[in-house]
Amino acid sequence: MIGYYLRLALHSFRRNVGLTSVMVIAVGLGIAVCVVMLTIYHAMSGNPIWWKAERLYAVTMDLGYADKPFNVKHPELPPPQLAYRDAKYLAAHAPARRHSLSFWSVAVIVADGAHAAPTPISTRETTADFFAMFDVPFQYGTGWSSREDQGPAPVIVLSKSMNDKLFGGENSVGRTVRWNDHPFRVVGVLKDWLPMPKFFDLVSGAFNAPEAGYIPFAWGVTLKQVPNAGSVDCTSRNPVNSYDDFLNADCMWLQLWVELPDAASRTQMQTLMDNYWSEQRKAGRFPRARNNRLTNVDQWLRDNDVVRDDNRVLIGLAMAFLAICLFNTIGVLLAKFLGRASITGIRRALGATRRDITVQYLLEAGVLAVAGATFGLVLAAFGLAAVRALYSQPDRGGFQELTHFDTTSVLWAVALAAVSALAAGCYPAWRMGRLPPARYLKA
Amino acid sequence: MNLQLRPALTALWRNHTGALLVAAQIGVALAVLVNAACIVHQRIAKMSRPTGIDYRNEFVVWSQAFTDRFDFPSALREDISYLRGLPGVVDATQANSVPMGWSNNSTEFRASTDPNAPRVQLSMFNMDDHAINTLGTHLIAGRNFRPDEILPPLTVENPSEFVPVLILSRDAAQKLYGSANAVGKAIYDDAGHAATVIGVIENVISTSWGVVTGSDQIVLIPRHTYKLGPSWYLVRTQPGERDALMRTVEEHMSRSNPNRVIQRVDALEMYKDTLYRDDRNMAIFLLTVTVLVLIVTCVGIVGLVTFNVSTRTRQIGTRRALGARCRDVIRYFLVENALVTTTGILAGVVLALGVGYLLSLHFQLPRLDLLYLLAGVLALWLIALLSAWQPARRAATVAPAVATRTL
Repeated sequence: MIGYYLRLALHSFRRNVGLTSVMVIAVGLGIAVCVVMLTIYHAMSGNPIWWKAERLYAVTMDLGYADKPFNVKHPELPPPQLAYRDAKYLAAHAPARRHSLSFWSVAVIVADGAHAAPTPISTRETTADFFAMFDVPFQYGTGWSSREDQGPAPVIVLSKSMNDKLFGGENSVGRTVRWNDHPFRVVGVLKDWLPMPKFFDLVSGAFNAPEAGYIPFAWGVTLKQVPNAGSVDCTSRNPVNSYDDFLNADCMWLQLWVELPDAASRTQMQTLMDNYWSEQRKAGRFPRARNNRLTNVDQWLRDNDVVRDDNRVLIGLAMAFLAICLFNTIGVLLAKFLGRASITGIRRALGATRRDITVQYLLEAGVLAVAGATFGLVLAAFGLAAVRALYSQPDRGGFQELTHFDTTSVLWAVALAAVSALAAGCYPAWRMGRLPPARYLKA
Repeated sequence: MNLQLRPALTALWRNHTGALLVAAQIGVALAVLVNAACIVHQRIAKMSRPTGIDYRNEFVVWSQAFTDRFDFPSALREDISYLRGLPGVVDATQANSVPMGWSNNSTEFRASTDPNAPRVQLSMFNMDDHAINTLGTHLIAGRNFRPDEILPPLTVENPSEFVPVLILSRDAAQKLYGSANAVGKAIYDDAGHAATVIGVIENVISTSWGVVTGSDQIVLIPRHTYKLGPSWYLVRTQPGERDALMRTVEEHMSRSNPNRVIQRVDALEMYKDTLYRDDRNMAIFLLTVTVLVLIVTCVGIVGLVTFNVSTRTRQIGTRRALGARCRDVIRYFLVENALVTTTGILAGVVLALGVGYLLSLHFQLPRLDLLYLLAGVLALWLIALLSAWQPARRAATVAPAVATRTL
């Protein structure tokens, strides 16, 4: 029977190619616009490390100004970064299974070999646990050990693309590079790794690619580095006259993450922060009310407004557009079906039940929705390519990855097609099922 | 004039589903059109805000020193004299931040030592006495820095943040002193250091951080900046010379000093594009979808009128046979369509206001301007009328003889 209904549907499409294509185009356009907006939204709102949703926590304390919130849009939130002395203390005493303390800087790297050209390299100076905490995949070698954090040992981990650039993609573990003119030994090379959003450091841009090099955190202090990239927010008014002054100042420039496997360790960590806060408060620091937070990744992404309001507005717009397309399609379908009222009357008279008729027309609407969804997917692929071109930017590769046409897009299209078929087909098919056959048999 | 409302209403009632669907399309289309236009207008206003500088003829060299052997004073002397000596270059300066750039350094300033005096956040542009000419702005009061007032960079060995003189932008002076005439006045930074305002320049757009956070007044600090890492040169060229000079400069400076690399050489126009990229893209998305909305709605109207005409061929023929003129037939269909359109628009006005209210409530978007609503209503009415015109004319071509054919 289904086969027969399908033949009927195809016959009906052929009879009126113009109207059929209007419907397919309308449904396709509606689905395409929705798929494009949803794909972008999905990529922005995703948690790239969801399997550790209840284990990873960003550590923040409110070291803002006494008389005004740090973030005017979210006055309830502490600043997203920590000052050196606080971060150091918390990292050293954390009951956490793992912790990562890091900041971002821009440097220059040269591979060993006489003719190598110096190459700019964005670098994360971080602690040994970083790789295990964030499940960073390695192509060659590994990260470094906590012991090598102490020295600090001259070890560096390169991203895949940096290894391609410096060593033509070879296994470079054991080779020497000069990082800002200091010798470092390559201990690991990453696989392609592109967490979107870049949750562990949103300050430098939520959709930037991760850094191309990683060295032990202690090198920052050893080389007396003042962060030359990212953000440094100072809220103290004490003069800074030496590097130690800078380290002790209320200048926030570090990101601290901890991995807390259970509720007990979370409570322990919270207690540690609260005790530390009270102690420091007595010493005259932390002028604002107590606001010590452990924030999981999902909440962290929300707090930092990773998904922009604009993207929410665009989702609404896409849905409104799809609604218009569906209204349009329902109207055309109804008109088209009613044009076949007399044939339907004959079929009813020959014994087809109301249900048969309804199913037959629903099927026709379904075929239409499938055609529309297919057309919509093709359009969406072009649409996403166009969006990628709009976002193309020389030094922000990550953003383009957002707009990839992927399985998510296809799933969205399938879901939307099903909804469209039901929404557009139900009423006209139901109307056809209820036509009184006798009246149409007379003519 | 007899608009023949009654027969139109009766006919509409016969096929009210189709008519209601088209009215719904028109309603949603109006809500989309009006709110999208409002947001697009807001974005265009934001993007066309004056920069106050000659940004079309300026570019930025991002130099990155990477060894302790890098001798900053001699490199600076050499780079600056090279850049200023190039034919086609108007002027050049070293800088810690450039307008619309991502590197930002800001502090709160006060007009008096009173700790309760209002504090104003200013982005600090550390530049030399060529800053005003390189930016392409001008003094509105006071004087420029003298070459001997330019301070050496802050380093660990030279940590003094004391700056004796500085230059404010017009709005910065206005916010601090209540008037643009701030020359000779004292100014205090966060740590309580005092300085004297020696000049006021016309407003200059701040760094991207300043623009995004809305604290976009600037102050010129007469100091060179050096830290192991990024340093910027801002270069202003004669009109039309920029692109060629960018290539020349990149090639020369990449090789002129082995202790640094040239990370990028970018036109300031690129910085501007980057700064407003999200706004521009939002405007493009909104416009594209709004146009599609209007097209689909037009198709819906054409479809409805065509359908009505085709199912009523016999009635039209009869009316023609009974003496109705072509334009009576056209008018009849236009009136019928106008009824549908007006219903949709009425619903759309409510929807548009509701959506506009929700948007301003949740997304910090501007309140819907009622002028937009009015313009949107008129535009949609006109579009609907035009869409119905062609099928209605076809109705008028039905010959009176059709009425007799099936008798």
